[in-house]
Amino acid sequence: MTAALGALGRPVLEALAAIGRVALFAGAILGHTLRPPFYFRELGASLLQIGWFSLPVVGLTAIFTGGALALQIYAGGSRFNAEAVVPSIVAIGMARELGPVLGGLMVAARVASSIAAEIGTMKVTEQIDALVTLSTNPLKYLAVPRVLAATLAMPVLVAVGDAIGIMGGWLVGITRLDFNSAAYLKNTVDFLEPWDVGSGLVKGAVFGFIVALMGCYHGMNSARGAQGVGRATKSAVVSASVLILAANYVLTELFFTS
Amino acid sequence: MITLNDVHKAFGANRVLQGVNLSIASGTSMVIIGGSGTGKSVLLKCVLGLVRPDSGQIMLDGQDVTKADRDAFLARFGMLFQGGALFDSLRVWENVAFRLLRGAKALPKPQAREIAIEKLRRVGLKPDVADQFPAELSGGMQKRVGLARAIAASPEIIFFDEPTTGLDPIMAGVINDLIREIVTEMGATAMTITHDMSSVRAIADNVAHAAWRGDPLDRAGF
Repeated sequence: MTAALGALGRPVLEALAAIGRVALFAGAILGHTLRPPFYFRELGASLLQIGWFSLPVVGLTAIFTGGALALQIYAGGSRFNAEAVVPSIVAIGMARELGPVLGGLMVAARVASSIAAEIGTMKVTEQIDALVTLSTNPLKYLAVPRVLAATLAMPVLVAVGDAIGIMGGWLVGITRLDFNSAAYLKNTVDFLEPWDVGSGLVKGAVFGFIVALMGCYHGMNSARGAQGVGRATKSAVVSASVLILAANYVLTELFFTS
Repeated sequence: MITLNDVHKAFGANRVLQGVNLSIASGTSMVIIGGSGTGKSVLLKCVLGLVRPDSGQIMLDGQDVTKADRDAFLARFGMLFQGGALFDSLRVWENVAFRLLRGAKALPKPQAREIAIEKLRRVGLKPDVADQFPAELSGGMQKRVGLARAIAASPEIIFFDEPTTGLDPIMAGVINDLIREIVTEMGATAMTITHDMSSVRAIADNVAHAAWRGDPLDRAGF
């Protein structure tokens, strides 16, 4: 009985300890964000890496998703003569859910892995220790610019993804589903409310924070050797993806159920 | 003077340092020799505060290093890491001038670059290396860049962690000679971790031996 309880309790305690460590890590990053020195060059480089270079993957994901969504809604809607809702549902679906969530997941795959691998490699090659001996706080120099950049860049990526996704739906609508172009666009604009877009952008910022936080956390805690860095990279992507989906549910509850 | 009194450090059940006592006089070069896993690098990292000792005291000029102002303390040190530990994303000159470009006494970029090139020249590298990235350099050149970075801010104390590991005997000899020359020229206090006896002969004023089987460092300054 005691052994069974122990077996049950150990993973629970480990999970709680891990949550505590991540929370402390996030708190330390937030604390450092507000205190000088500020590394603007590193912030700029991170914005470029996380924001600009993620545009193609987010754009491609969005255009195919928007197109597929239009086809699905048309097929489903035709069962009860509601084909006309395609433009508005594509727009709302992209802005509220699919834009931020799929954008977040794609950025998690691309950015969390890259951050974890880069920082993990720096750790195992003693570059993190070298930073300390050069009087530079690694958290401030490596983690803060990345987390800040991801938090700022993700809403922009989501906005671009929303626009491209809606365009994908429009493209499929007018070429495959015989919608009138002007009517499709009018329906999209008429039914889309500012908060549909705004809530997606807020979600994007939260997902960006999660992605970079997980990349930095697992990179900084990487074990030695290639295997350690590989494990850190995998953990960063998996934890960022799961946290994005969990945070999406919580945010949707907060934004749309009251 | 650096003084270690009864320093202990364990990683789980592995007791790496067991009551280390060691003194390094200012302006002298101490070499710590011993086999792998005897805690040489851990000892060095304990002094720098990269690893926290479980117990014992580490003093620098009579002051407990754990109570010293961290930035002021680290500003007195230069360190050459075993693998160089150069920052991949920065050019060679930016690596060398890293400390000079940051902090309260940060220099303007052109001046820092000039000093970096001078330090590169001091370790036998041509100025055209300055704009390359570390990955474009050979192992020996990376060590030299690491050495240039360690001396860039003219520190009072320089640590060398396995300075000749991974180098061919000729390049190892060149690095050893450079370390000796630089330490003498700067009047710095040096602490070198190595298991290369040619380094001991070239660099050491005093030698301490980290004994086998995880026993403590047995003595210093013989």
